[in-house]
Amino acid sequence: MSSLWILSPVLAAWIAGAFLLIWSFAEHLKQNVPKEQSAGSAKQILAGETPDGLSCEPGLGAVHGLAIGALAAAAILALWVAWSGDGSVTLFYLMKDIPIYFQVDGIGRWFVTLVTAVWVPVGIYSARYMRHEGEEKRFFGFYLLLYGVLVCLDFAGNLITMYLFYELMTLTSFPLVLHSGSREAIMAALKYLFYSLCGAYMGLFGIFFLYRFCTNLIFVPGGILSQDVIGQHGGILLAAVMLMLVGFGAKAGMFPLHAWLPAAHPVAPSPASAVLSGIIVKSGVLAVIRVVYYIVGPDFLRGTWVQYTWMALSLTTIFMGSLLAYREPNLKKRLAYSTVSNLSYILFGLAALSPTGFTGALLHVAFHGVVKCGLFLTAGIFLFCCNKTKVEELTGIGQKMPAVLWCYTLLSLTLIGIPPTGGFVSKWYLAQGALEANLGPWSYAGPVILLISALLTAGYLLPLVTKGFFPGEPGQDQESEDIVTERKKPGAAMLIPLLILTALALVMGLFPNALIEYANIISNMLL
Amino acid sequence: MHIAVMITVVLLPILGGILIPMLPFRGRREMLWYIEALVLINSILVLTVLLFQPEEAFVLFRFTGNLRVSFHLDGMGKVFAALAAALWPLAALYSFEYMKNDNNEKSFFMFYVITYGVTLGIAMADNILTMYFFFEMMSLVTLPLIMHTRTREAVLASRSYLYYMLGGAAFAFIGMIFILSYGTTSTFVPGGVLDLNKIGDKTNMMLLVYVLCFLGFGVKTAIWPFSGWLPRAGVAPTPVTALLHAVAVVNTGAFATMRITYYSFGTGLLRGTWAQSVVLLLVIFTILYGCSRALKETHIKRRLAWSTVSNLSYILFGVALMSPLGLAGALCHMLFHSFMKIGSFFCAGAVMHETGRSYVHELDGLGRKMPRVFAIFTICGMALMGVPGLAGFVSKWQLAQAAVASENPLAWVGVLALLASALLTAIYMLTISVRAFFPGKEFDYDTVPDVSDPGWMMLLPLVIFVAVIVLFGLHSQPFVEYLQGVALSMPT
Repeated sequence: MSSLWILSPVLAAWIAGAFLLIWSFAEHLKQNVPKEQSAGSAKQILAGETPDGLSCEPGLGAVHGLAIGALAAAAILALWVAWSGDGSVTLFYLMKDIPIYFQVDGIGRWFVTLVTAVWVPVGIYSARYMRHEGEEKRFFGFYLLLYGVLVCLDFAGNLITMYLFYELMTLTSFPLVLHSGSREAIMAALKYLFYSLCGAYMGLFGIFFLYRFCTNLIFVPGGILSQDVIGQHGGILLAAVMLMLVGFGAKAGMFPLHAWLPAAHPVAPSPASAVLSGIIVKSGVLAVIRVVYYIVGPDFLRGTWVQYTWMALSLTTIFMGSLLAYREPNLKKRLAYSTVSNLSYILFGLAALSPTGFTGALLHVAFHGVVKCGLFLTAGIFLFCCNKTKVEELTGIGQKMPAVLWCYTLLSLTLIGIPPTGGFVSKWYLAQGALEANLGPWSYAGPVILLISALLTAGYLLPLVTKGFFPGEPGQDQESEDIVTERKKPGAAMLIPLLILTALALVMGLFPNALIEYANIISNMLL
Repeated sequence: MHIAVMITVVLLPILGGILIPMLPFRGRREMLWYIEALVLINSILVLTVLLFQPEEAFVLFRFTGNLRVSFHLDGMGKVFAALAAALWPLAALYSFEYMKNDNNEKSFFMFYVITYGVTLGIAMADNILTMYFFFEMMSLVTLPLIMHTRTREAVLASRSYLYYMLGGAAFAFIGMIFILSYGTTSTFVPGGVLDLNKIGDKTNMMLLVYVLCFLGFGVKTAIWPFSGWLPRAGVAPTPVTALLHAVAVVNTGAFATMRITYYSFGTGLLRGTWAQSVVLLLVIFTILYGCSRALKETHIKRRLAWSTVSNLSYILFGVALMSPLGLAGALCHMLFHSFMKIGSFFCAGAVMHETGRSYVHELDGLGRKMPRVFAIFTICGMALMGVPGLAGFVSKWQLAQAAVASENPLAWVGVLALLASALLTAIYMLTISVRAFFPGKEFDYDTVPDVSDPGWMMLLPLVIFVAVIVLFGLHSQPFVEYLQGVALSMPT
């Protein structure tokens, strides 16, 4: 397949998204027209409230229908494009020798499938959840735009195209973070924006240098940088690659530029933090993979200071993330720190530059994507139903919402990596990969830190389970009865996506062979 | 005949402008028609000249020997002339609406139109003397525009403007004298005109003179330490700040440094010397300094003015790379920056005109009242940041590629500075957009004045600028190739 069909899912998502945004904006403009009415009263007239305290903008059914319909259509198209064979399309030339070029390849397929698997359930979940936040047209508009951008990013065939959509991803995900419009949310969103842009510009610095030495920046498995091109410029190129790793690592929450994650996640609406943690941060990983394995080539980095620094940074991040998560009382923030730590598992696997490490990284991308998304959805349900954000406030929640807490428990076990689950499989491969890389002490330090981090993971995820199911003394129980009162029902629209994701995580863990095989095919192509 | 047209485009706006206060117009409308027609006709004439590409130089008059005032249009001049021709009619249209309630319109429009001719004079100057002549004239005719409001602040600003400009011209004059005495000719020749036999062992002195001359012409581009005048000049009416202080005046400075670097001193003499390092260091510092000051500034026009300081130094950075690619990048950024910055300024002006608010923190929630203006402002901001797909990315790409190719470690530092500056640009531009569109949940829309988007005369130029920014962002190849053609014709 080699045609513009590759872009069909993008087009579907973008048209619907743009339509919703224009609709939302037009409505706001209309509110301004009655001059004698204050903005507040106009809003009350337009947006009534249903008995259970949820906003009910006019035309909500149509919005949901359009958003979910377009999302489903785009998802089906995306899966069809991804799995109907390799293909490529050159859209136009941005500059001389620099086309906007898309190609469908193994790694793109892997990421697009993950994105789609997460995007649709979370979309359905938001249909109910966002009634509690309001401004649904704007949310779904950007949600759809972002889906299109991510598909483009995953299918990007050269570094410039990837960079273009990387920037667009930052700009379109930004309104999702500041959605609630509180001062805190806006500050956090700006922090997210500036960290991401800072990272992207560091990446761009590397691109400037790579373009000089590679002439074209098309992704080729194994890299396109050959020894004779490098010549005497090895030093500066290594420095440039290091900058790119740190820069694109910013999106993946790697150590020096990780601070945006714990700021942005708690303030974003839960579905937004779910996709932020499940998918957007993975785009940083994708960018790193593209640069290291498709442009520079792993051989160029093996054994250099860049590899060691990269490893040191990722190990630091793993440890630091887990430790901070352990100390954090706010559930969503705790999960955000957990993401910081888990994303560095992936980066650590990539830094090993060995086939097993790469396979482990890809597996962890998939497992973590699904699991973390599910965990954020449960956090969202707690927030939606009980308005609770702190872990200790949720004592006894298991008696009120057993199904939700069971999902949380199963997802937690997967993330910790108790043997039959997915987390175990990916961590096994990651540890193997580190040992395979033959980096002396670093190879041993890796598995040790993974193990410590797994213990910490258990330490920060499981207290909610124990407190939730076994609230303890009757006196405390009485107190918690008062606290945990369900204000609103989660409803099927929020429970089913959570169940889907949990089931997906379990199935992937119990029957990982197909995934492992596919990941092995990709990694054998690269290394 | 074509040659005569060349002098016409310079003289027509000057004479036509002088006539504005004298002609007996029966109303404002008539005067506006006259001005717009004058500017449009002149722009069309410029385009004709560009199309016919006259080869010979047109000599207006001779002083003695090789000293003469003459015009010639080469590749670089064409770019600048075309830029002026494209922007002037649109900016005039914008100022018609902006200046509606001004008492002193006539003098404003007189100088505004005269500046057009002077700018074209610099674009088409054939030799350093002609360029210097128009360069001085530029300082003088823009002075009344800064003073326009006659407030104390405006008078002080124009006084400091005058001092800076005269000081700069003095330095530039030194450079001119040296070129006249050590060069083979005063005409601009690609690759430089210096006679190496005459210089002999005085290379270091020539380099010193070059640095002085660069700084002298650089005063107009607000290079550090001479950048103070530009933000202060922001007291002028917005059409002046937008067209003159973001485009015409500062670009003449950049254009003049290109001329002396590549066409008079010649890069052969300069490349790799301490002079290049000094210039590069100053420019890199200015890039960062301008952005940082912009970040700190809360007055919206002064913020944009500091942003201009930084962006003009991108252009000078390209110039100071002393390679043909650098020149191409510099020309590219000169052109694209003009569109991006004039767009931002016009948006800022529209807001100030409609609401009377001029500080960043007063802009909360205005995005809902003036959606078109703020949407355009956001696009201009993103272009300045260098989001791919918009024009700013293309010119930054050219500059960075030239810097990487130059193999000069200082130039690599410059690339870092460009990117750091891009980040700062994002911060100071996007915070404005975010404030306007997302003022926060508790924001009371009652405090927003009841305003709306401005009329078509202000919006049309903005829409055209955005169209140009997007068009060049998506498809710049023919244009960039033309610029590289201009630059690569240079003997290295």
